[in-house]
Amino acid sequence: MRMCSLRQKAWSPYVAGIIIGLLQVPAFLLISTALGASSSYVTVGGYIAALFDPAVVGIDYVAKHMAATGKNWWQVALVVGVALGAFLSMKLSGAKRQAISPIWGRALGTHSPVARYAMAFGAGFLMLFGARVADGCTSGHGLSGMAQMAVSSTIAVAFMFVGGIATAVLVLRRI
Amino acid sequence: MSVFPAILIGLAMGVVFGFAFEKARVFEPGMIVGQMQLRNFTMLKVFLTAVATGAVVLAALQGFGLIKLAPKATFYAADMLGGLVLGAGITLAGACPGTILAQIGAGYRDAWFTLAGGLAGAIAFSYAEPALTPLLFTGGPGRLTFMDLTGLPYPLLAAGFAVVLVGALVALEKWRPWRDDLGADVDGDFAAAPEAPVSARLKAAE
Repeated sequence: MRMCSLRQKAWSPYVAGIIIGLLQVPAFLLISTALGASSSYVTVGGYIAALFDPAVVGIDYVAKHMAATGKNWWQVALVVGVALGAFLSMKLSGAKRQAISPIWGRALGTHSPVARYAMAFGAGFLMLFGARVADGCTSGHGLSGMAQMAVSSTIAVAFMFVGGIATAVLVLRRI
Repeated sequence: MSVFPAILIGLAMGVVFGFAFEKARVFEPGMIVGQMQLRNFTMLKVFLTAVATGAVVLAALQGFGLIKLAPKATFYAADMLGGLVLGAGITLAGACPGTILAQIGAGYRDAWFTLAGGLAGAIAFSYAEPALTPLLFTGGPGRLTFMDLTGLPYPLLAAGFAVVLVGALVALEKWRPWRDDLGADVDGDFAAAPEAPVSARLKAAE
């Protein structure tokens, strides 16, 4: 079997990690920014909020993220591309996913899809609220900030794992 | 750069990013929850490899004067609190803000709810930001880096950091080969695998 055929279901995490790390080159050279994902939620969220409350653009933070700059829309396009890339990879390998990962039934002690959907919504809320408080997520702080030797990112990532591990041990059941 | 070419570049880079997430299996809830329960190390391997690679390429680019680094400003309380809440969310979602989209692409239906929750969280933060700024985002040492703390140049520190990470990854792989973490359907699920008797025994002991 070839090492990394496009049709393979899994690649070595090291090959995938190198590819992801190399994406910093076009990010810095072409967009003058580092890989990141969570700002795009403020950009898209700003447009959604503005539908109901046009005054939201009066908040500087929102206006800054909604501005028609290459950097803002590059990141929105990046996360849309992530969905396309994962879809493509999945189609090529022929892997099929159930609607909900089988691990959730064990982790939550219930197979109710409604329970999982409600929890997913709450988890998404916490994740992006936390990421915006920390000013970055696993990509912006984790991949990019740590590679740039930033103190803020090292603190944020350490506490991310503390929060993640504590939640996985105390809240979820063993998968 | 103007918006249209930036969008095309973003899409192209995103496709590569999503492809790598999917092939690495790191977008699977089983891999994320497994990592946070310290039973699966796929996430850490992908993450540390990407950090090491990023450090090496950025060290080269910065060393040749081609780029300017953009480290984020340090606000101790915000970095700690935000990190804790982000981490709790990652575990409960089984995803990161970036891999939610990979889950959607791969066909996980619950990821749409994670995405909606994420947008709601970002909107809630946007409304709270003016009130939070005096509490969390004022003062602080600015864009503090380990170069400031050590006095060493970035290319040297970044290269040294990458060497340490590679050493850690070699040890991690020796202790735990990556194929052992793939699971039943390359999804980090070990329900039907040899792990089952262990949990059965645990249950019997309860």
